[in-house]
Amino acid sequence: MTPPVPVLWRTATVRDVVAETAHARTLVLDAPGWPGHRAGQHLDLRLTAEDGYQAQRSYSIASAPEAAALEITVEVIDDGEVSPYLVEEVRPGDELEVRGPIGGHFTWSVADGGPLLLVAGGSGLVPLMAMLRHRAAQASDVAAHVLVSARGEQDVLYGDELAALEPRDGLRVARTYTRVRPQGWTGWARRVDAAMLDALGPAPGAGARCFVCGPTPFVERVAQLLVDAGHEARAVHTERFGPTGG
Amino acid sequence: MSDVHLDGNGVAGLLGEILAVEVTTVLRTCQTCGDRRAIGEHRAYRGAGVVLRCPSCGDVALRVGTRPERLTVELRGAFEVTPRA
Repeated sequence: MTPPVPVLWRTATVRDVVAETAHARTLVLDAPGWPGHRAGQHLDLRLTAEDGYQAQRSYSIASAPEAAALEITVEVIDDGEVSPYLVEEVRPGDELEVRGPIGGHFTWSVADGGPLLLVAGGSGLVPLMAMLRHRAAQASDVAAHVLVSARGEQDVLYGDELAALEPRDGLRVARTYTRVRPQGWTGWARRVDAAMLDALGPAPGAGARCFVCGPTPFVERVAQLLVDAGHEARAVHTERFGPTGG
Repeated sequence: MSDVHLDGNGVAGLLGEILAVEVTTVLRTCQTCGDRRAIGEHRAYRGAGVVLRCPSCGDVALRVGTRPERLTVELRGAFEVTPRA
């Protein structure tokens, strides 16, 4: 039974900020009373200006359910209303209003089993990273095949951590760079396509739980590729986000 | 994660103010095309409020008008809601 959505707004205090890329930061939050979350869920965040104007956004939770602190990773949208504040202005000690966790559709836990196929477009990696951190925290060797599509190496979130994830048994992490190919890079350097997904696996008959997160056009293309390849439509979970309104 | 989700997952917090269930896993059968899809898979459009549309045919599934003092809600199609345990 899925629990009801908590609509309670609570005050969270920024404990730390961590630069991830030139355009993204992780906010480490202390949220007293936070009820815990499942990997893949998100939270709503609300900012109130001095004149009372409020702006609200949804952010995927980056931290594993097992982690001591609640973390979100925010990528700045240049003409956005909220993200520039969160990425460039927020300091430790600042207070934010959050509510959550929210969502039961785009979630995974070790108990659900695998194999897993995780496909991220840009900062769509955030909720998928929560799943991988959860897998690591549980020392689970459930098969997890991960494809990260990014413009270039500098845009990949959690790069070092991805390379060091445990357990390595059953884990396969691949990248494709769509704009800037690092010097000496011999891996994929194109948009996600059918051949790439076929090479990565798991094979469509394996009953993989597929999670695709990224910008809307990316998600719709990849989800269609997976279904066309023979993955069960029911097993393809998607989460879309876009830059409008940020 | 960038700022705005463009699907039912991203408006689940708002819908939670209206419906006392976790909405993203609620299955909705479209009144127009008959497709049965989770709310999390529906497409979301934000403006003065929120509109969710069927991911298959694009017809309106849900409208929420947001004002400071009240929400206005319109639901279309069949929503399979599992009561709380």
